[in-house]
Amino acid sequence: MTDSVIVAKDLRKRYGKDTVALDGTSFSIGRGRIVGLMGPNGAGKTTALKAILGLTSFEGQLDVLGRDPRRERSSLMQDVCFIADVAVLPKWLRVDQAIDYVAGVHPRFDLTRADAMLAKTEIRRCSKVGELSKGMITQLHLALIMAIDAKLLVLDEPTLGLDLLYRRSFYGALLNEYFDHERTIVVTTHQVEEVEHLLTDVLLIDHGRIVLDSSVEDLANRFVQLIGNNDSLEAARSLGPIYEREVFGRSVFVFEGRRTEELASLGETRTPSVSDLFEAKMTRRAS
Amino acid sequence: MSTRSFLILIRREIWEHRSLVWVPYVSATLTMVAALVGSSILGSIQTNIDGDWRSAEQIGESFFFKALATDVATQSKLMSIWISAIGLPVIFVTSIVLYFYLIDSLYVERKERSILFWKSLPVSDAATVMSKVVTALVAIPIWVWLVSLVMGLLTFAIVALKVSGTLLAPLANFHLGAWLVTQLTLLQNLFIAGLWYAPLAGWLLLISVWAKRAPFLWAISPGFVALFEEIVFDTNYVIRLISFRLTHYLEEVSVVWDNKGGTSIEASINAVQNAYSRLSAAPLLGELHLYTGLLAAAALILAAIRLRRWRDDT
Repeated sequence: MTDSVIVAKDLRKRYGKDTVALDGTSFSIGRGRIVGLMGPNGAGKTTALKAILGLTSFEGQLDVLGRDPRRERSSLMQDVCFIADVAVLPKWLRVDQAIDYVAGVHPRFDLTRADAMLAKTEIRRCSKVGELSKGMITQLHLALIMAIDAKLLVLDEPTLGLDLLYRRSFYGALLNEYFDHERTIVVTTHQVEEVEHLLTDVLLIDHGRIVLDSSVEDLANRFVQLIGNNDSLEAARSLGPIYEREVFGRSVFVFEGRRTEELASLGETRTPSVSDLFEAKMTRRAS
Repeated sequence: MSTRSFLILIRREIWEHRSLVWVPYVSATLTMVAALVGSSILGSIQTNIDGDWRSAEQIGESFFFKALATDVATQSKLMSIWISAIGLPVIFVTSIVLYFYLIDSLYVERKERSILFWKSLPVSDAATVMSKVVTALVAIPIWVWLVSLVMGLLTFAIVALKVSGTLLAPLANFHLGAWLVTQLTLLQNLFIAGLWYAPLAGWLLLISVWAKRAPFLWAISPGFVALFEEIVFDTNYVIRLISFRLTHYLEEVSVVWDNKGGTSIEASINAVQNAYSRLSAAPLLGELHLYTGLLAAAALILAAIRLRRWRDDT
């Protein structure tokens, strides 16, 4: 694929002797996609992101925007932005200093854009980061990042610990004012429900392996969720669901590679949500 | 990385460590106040010369000062000496602040995790580490020099006012040429000090980027190694190496008032001449030790850059 922004082949990384963070992880991410990289704690999400950003060593092949992040990290950072999580802006930094600094070191920083973004908030120029609320710090960080004309934006749990309103406006700003179908966004989060409507692709990772790699459109072709009729549960089970659980006394199945028509007689069918699939894939591996 | 970008890295250091700017300023002000108070009591001071206690009045009448009143060369050298000396408290206090600055500079960013923000921008680890080296060994020394220069002039003016019309007045004659030479020498000395202490800076940066906690204790750990050596092997190579690296620069530039020649006019003028001849640190540039130190500094700084690049504990 020539239009790939990230191509990872067989990434491997362990911490110490026993902890395997990446175990032959392979995936590719195309330009103009919004990819959710999801998985339980310790699945290898953050390690994968760190590898992409050149923040950690690993084995395997990794190409990010045509560069190897291990060797060309600082030049790669001209085209890649990331927000690691909400609390990484230093407390002593003043808002105007933060802007001056990024403007000074980043050739693709657009000062007027950052000013316009900040004007919409209640953040004052002379405040120190330490004096801002958590939500305001995120707004500031987002304003700095969104003023950079980057090709790839990486977000690692960007809204952790924020209240609902800030979380909504964070993703709203990202989608409406930043994303333009040329840029690529990779986001990890625990709050799957909150991002699933904006994703174009889903990568599920568990124990350092990719367990699901699909565009959101394809999910409808690959997966069917069935709320089974009580008299056809055995028939449903015989078709090999990848997941079954009980909701309000009814059995809910998830099937992979079955057509809706095959299942329609057994109950109500629909396309599972990303969070349903997350649960299905993760529970299956755990059991 | 362009010069403009590098300058913003140095500004960033000063934003974070405001004390690097105000400590030289405050210590200069305090030194000036001390000079003011000192010169106020200058008139009544008793000085032990040649076993006899004499008042300033008597000193002023001494041969030495009578000679000084006419010997302009010695006058200007004496001025150079005390203008150099008066900046010493500022340099000393700022050095202590720089020491803590270097220990903190790559440690705090990891502790507060802001390293993830700094690393999200296209600034290499080499540029980051070098910005700290340049801040400590070039930028702040230039600021110290500027502050000392202004303070020296103000103090000179104050003392000149105090002693005008007294027998000590020759002490306060201003010699522009000598003053300019002295300022250039002081600036040169600060650069040489930067070169001499570069391995110390490299060591502190390495500790700063490496230590998981208590970087200050790790920074002084060679002291424990020296103690161990002393106790176990009954030798003292480590402590000699450390103290040589810490004090040799000071030995080179220390003003020694040698008046074993007695108190005659000639002996006093010789003492001034001797002290004056040691104001410059330039002889250090001819010593091999300076260059072995620079090699060590380069190795330590490279190690610090590499560690910051690959350290992964956030």
